[in-house]
Amino acid sequence: MSDYTIIGKRMPRVDSRAKVMGKAKFTADLKLPGMLVGKIKRSPYAHARILNIDTSKAEALPGVKAVVTGKDTEGVKWGVFAYTRDQQFIQIEKVRYIGDEVAGVAAVDKETALKALDLIEVTYEELPAVFDPMEAMASETDLIHEDFPNNINIHVNIDTGNVDENFAKAHYIREDTYVAPEESYFQAEPYAVVARFDHEDCLEVWMPNGGPHMKSKPLSNAFKIPLHKVKVRKIAIGGAFGGRSEICPVDYICALLAKKTKRPVRIQFTREENTIGTRQGHAMITTHKTGVDKKGRVLARETTCYMDGGAYSSTGPIATSVPFLSMEQAYRMESVRYNGYRIYTNKPIRGMIRTHGRGFACGLDTQLDMIADHLGIDPVEMRLRNSRQPGEYTSTKSYVDSCAMDETIHKAVEKSGFKKKWGKLPPYHGIGIGTNSVQTGFPMGIRGGSQSFIKFNEDGEATVMSGVVDNGQGNDNMLIQIAAEELGLLPEDIHLVSADTETTSSDPGSYSQVSTFVGGHAVKIAAQNCREKLFKVASKVLKVEPDKLAAKNRLIFIKDDPEKSIPIRKVVRISLLNFNSVNAEGGYWPRVDMKREWVKNPYGQMCEAFSFGTTIVEVKVDPDTGQVKVLEATAAQDVGYALNPLVLEGQFEGSIAMGGQGGMLTEYHEWKDGRCINPTMLDYKLPLACDMPPKINNIIVESVDPKGPYGAKEAGMSIAMSAAQGYSAAVSNAIGVYMDSFPLTPDKILAAIKKKNHK
Amino acid sequence: MRLPRFDYLEPENLKGALDLLSTHRDDAKILAGGTDLLVRMKKGLLKPKVLISLKALNELSYINEKNGYIKIGARTPIADIVASGLIKEEAHALFQACEKIGAVTIQHYRGTIGGNILQDNRCHHYNQSEFHRSGHQPCHKDGGKICYAREEADRCNSTCQSDGATALMALDAKITLSKINGERTVDLADFYTTDGIMPFAMESHELLKEIIIPVQIAESAYQRLAYRSAIDYPIVCAGVLLKRSDTQKNEIDDARIVVGAMGRSPLFLAQASFSLKGKKLNDTNAFKKAADASMDNASTFAVHNVGSTLEYRCAMVSQMVFQALKEAAQAAVAAKG
Repeated sequence: MSDYTIIGKRMPRVDSRAKVMGKAKFTADLKLPGMLVGKIKRSPYAHARILNIDTSKAEALPGVKAVVTGKDTEGVKWGVFAYTRDQQFIQIEKVRYIGDEVAGVAAVDKETALKALDLIEVTYEELPAVFDPMEAMASETDLIHEDFPNNINIHVNIDTGNVDENFAKAHYIREDTYVAPEESYFQAEPYAVVARFDHEDCLEVWMPNGGPHMKSKPLSNAFKIPLHKVKVRKIAIGGAFGGRSEICPVDYICALLAKKTKRPVRIQFTREENTIGTRQGHAMITTHKTGVDKKGRVLARETTCYMDGGAYSSTGPIATSVPFLSMEQAYRMESVRYNGYRIYTNKPIRGMIRTHGRGFACGLDTQLDMIADHLGIDPVEMRLRNSRQPGEYTSTKSYVDSCAMDETIHKAVEKSGFKKKWGKLPPYHGIGIGTNSVQTGFPMGIRGGSQSFIKFNEDGEATVMSGVVDNGQGNDNMLIQIAAEELGLLPEDIHLVSADTETTSSDPGSYSQVSTFVGGHAVKIAAQNCREKLFKVASKVLKVEPDKLAAKNRLIFIKDDPEKSIPIRKVVRISLLNFNSVNAEGGYWPRVDMKREWVKNPYGQMCEAFSFGTTIVEVKVDPDTGQVKVLEATAAQDVGYALNPLVLEGQFEGSIAMGGQGGMLTEYHEWKDGRCINPTMLDYKLPLACDMPPKINNIIVESVDPKGPYGAKEAGMSIAMSAAQGYSAAVSNAIGVYMDSFPLTPDKILAAIKKKNHK
Repeated sequence: MRLPRFDYLEPENLKGALDLLSTHRDDAKILAGGTDLLVRMKKGLLKPKVLISLKALNELSYINEKNGYIKIGARTPIADIVASGLIKEEAHALFQACEKIGAVTIQHYRGTIGGNILQDNRCHHYNQSEFHRSGHQPCHKDGGKICYAREEADRCNSTCQSDGATALMALDAKITLSKINGERTVDLADFYTTDGIMPFAMESHELLKEIIIPVQIAESAYQRLAYRSAIDYPIVCAGVLLKRSDTQKNEIDDARIVVGAMGRSPLFLAQASFSLKGKKLNDTNAFKKAADASMDNASTFAVHNVGSTLEYRCAMVSQMVFQALKEAAQAAVAAKG
């Protein structure tokens, strides 16, 4: 595998310099001629009927160019699926959480826009609000959405059969419940949108996104204009983490204001709006019941999970499934029954998040440790006895081709010294292991594939077009590396045109870990097709068959006689002089089961490959304060093949920060009657660089997936997920108490220690 | 978020600043670094018509020792205090407290010790955006009659989270307040009101000019607890001072225990402090008792309004005090050597 020139090499990202130097332009930096400032009027009530909205005073304010309310929306509703369309872009009848959109304003400046918001008079009739999912299910009056009895938004049921029979056969059974509150993304860049309608009535729009094509289609539907008239443009993006995958009401409101004023409009969120007005991670209450045989192998599992979905369905069916899917991929189980319920509450909307299901996964792993403890098996052995193996099917019938789960366990165990430390560490000093697995994509119907176009310029450089978006993880660099490798060029010879719905073809979007596997793959195929054309021309000059040629360092040469070569630039010119274009296209569609559906039919091939990861964490707990000091984190992931180890290590370390250090130790929201108490970076305790473990060991494991481009799968998500489990296991081990409420803040740890010592 | 409009004034000297203050009084706020003030203004918590910047007042930036007193100009940057050998040696608790303020990159560089002492009290129901505060009744500090942190409270229970003030009170510091026609020096411990709305007993035309720390044959220490290692206010903190007896070298002659982030002001706990008089420097049992007494006393003041849980914060008072006492005692034993 080492004969690649650019792939597999530690290459600094093409976008790093501009970002580090502050030169990259984000949506909030955009300035268009005549641009207005937009602002959103939000509900201050958690649940209320809108009796009247009077915008006359706001409209009369000098400098205000437009005010829009639900009346201007023609009742358009949004939902990721046809059966989840429950959210109007601007509320007209009632509001369902503190922050729900009730009006939008465009004005000449921010001060005027804010003043106008104050002048909009909304008369509400407050309704009883419910903030707890269990209470929401029990309440019989004042449903949050009238069509959803018991406020149950989504119910996912998975049953492989034989569950009860296998429980009857089990040697040992445990049932435990685990809870975790909601969490937030805190992308470095708060959400922002710029929209304008051009002279041809095309909507041109910029915003941080998880997939431009996932934004353009709903906008085309909402404005009832053809898809080609919605041009989502590329712009630097400061993070998504799953929170920017779907359309956001503000996208629509901004475009509506632009349409009404015939001027560009920019809406820029405050940090608080970014927290409450976009998406959050779900709070979860999960009960796992697991039955094992004498050797600790899982015979049967029954999991019931209640998720606090907030006011609208968002990615509901996906969100209700993914925590379960990650675990069914990571671990074998003979039979399983899963019931996931997503419940409406009067809180901000919950969607996908990189660390989705931290409480779910930590609970499952904690329970495995408890069972292992009971059976006298160590946690590593317990995992190896249940870990996913290549060539198997998951419980929901996805074939797992490449899988190096065991190798990630073995390597992480060796590097961390787990075997030497387990059971031998002094009091309040602990070590723990977590393992997890994620998908590379979901069945997405017609948007499941990606296409790329490549054209050569006469100077021998190439332009690559791809719908893949880079929202911070390094996708632009990934595409350029692949194109340069295949075309025999240097990375600086590639000009990337991407994430623009006018010039690029459809792409699934940069979430569900699909970008390299599908989008990168499409670029690889397009580049190979383009190279073939070059080789055909070069073969005539070099007088050998095309299959004897190779390309590297801007040259096409004879494989067995590398001295005989011709510059690619020259080949391009010869081709053009001979009436032949030098361009090509390529596409990749993963072979998934299109009949698989989240609720109706949750069985069949989910995606073509899965990544697997293990995180081992060593901690010291201060028994007097409950504070945790992380000594070392070891992250090992089966990435398939490492396209760029430098980027991968960055992803691993970011995953430890988000999933473990923040996700498991400090990050959670506090509420008072539906009001988020800690929406800002000061009060929401994201870890800082100085909070990070002094040592992080990154271990890249390569199973070389037969279908992935160069064998690659995905970069770092299995670490983001397993980090939480590793952290929780380490803390539990240090204090000698299996924790069931996450994150593990010092107050909970101290209470657990005290309770244990009083026994 | 944008700052509301205001007039910006930049006096050239102390007299000029005092003149402006006496003219504008309640309409004016002093800008001495801005790391607290500007954040509150952006949230719409206050809208002063005039900001009087102390930028040009280098005469208020100094640290010196004279006649047994350390004097610190109120506009001295936090970074200068952290870098001062004198402070580290003679007022160790202040050095430790300043090290923990905000972050090196912003608050240490911009923030001043005067600004740190006068940073407004905080409450997670009050330090919020205008949007957050809309839709329910305003609290006491916001001009209303409700307290969201303690039911049926007749006054504001906002919390003083100043690291600097807690350490300085432990060091038995005094502060000098200037106005156009005079100045007064008060014990820091007497500087606070019992109302979180306006926690400081000072008039609107007074300016904090100087901090005075008596140099004693004593050791001090400061401990604080937060969820993050920087850019985080303490959820509990403690400053202590242990003075050795002149005759019995391993005996405590006098002690001061001050607990911060638990009430409307740093709390000087007289009873717990007094309990250490005459105790040996290695009497950890006495420290434990004093720490527990501190917890009992301080807990009555605290409300759940600065994060974590109230139960945890109360429990941690004892820990912070105990650790600070242990540290100061160790230093005292070492100094004796």
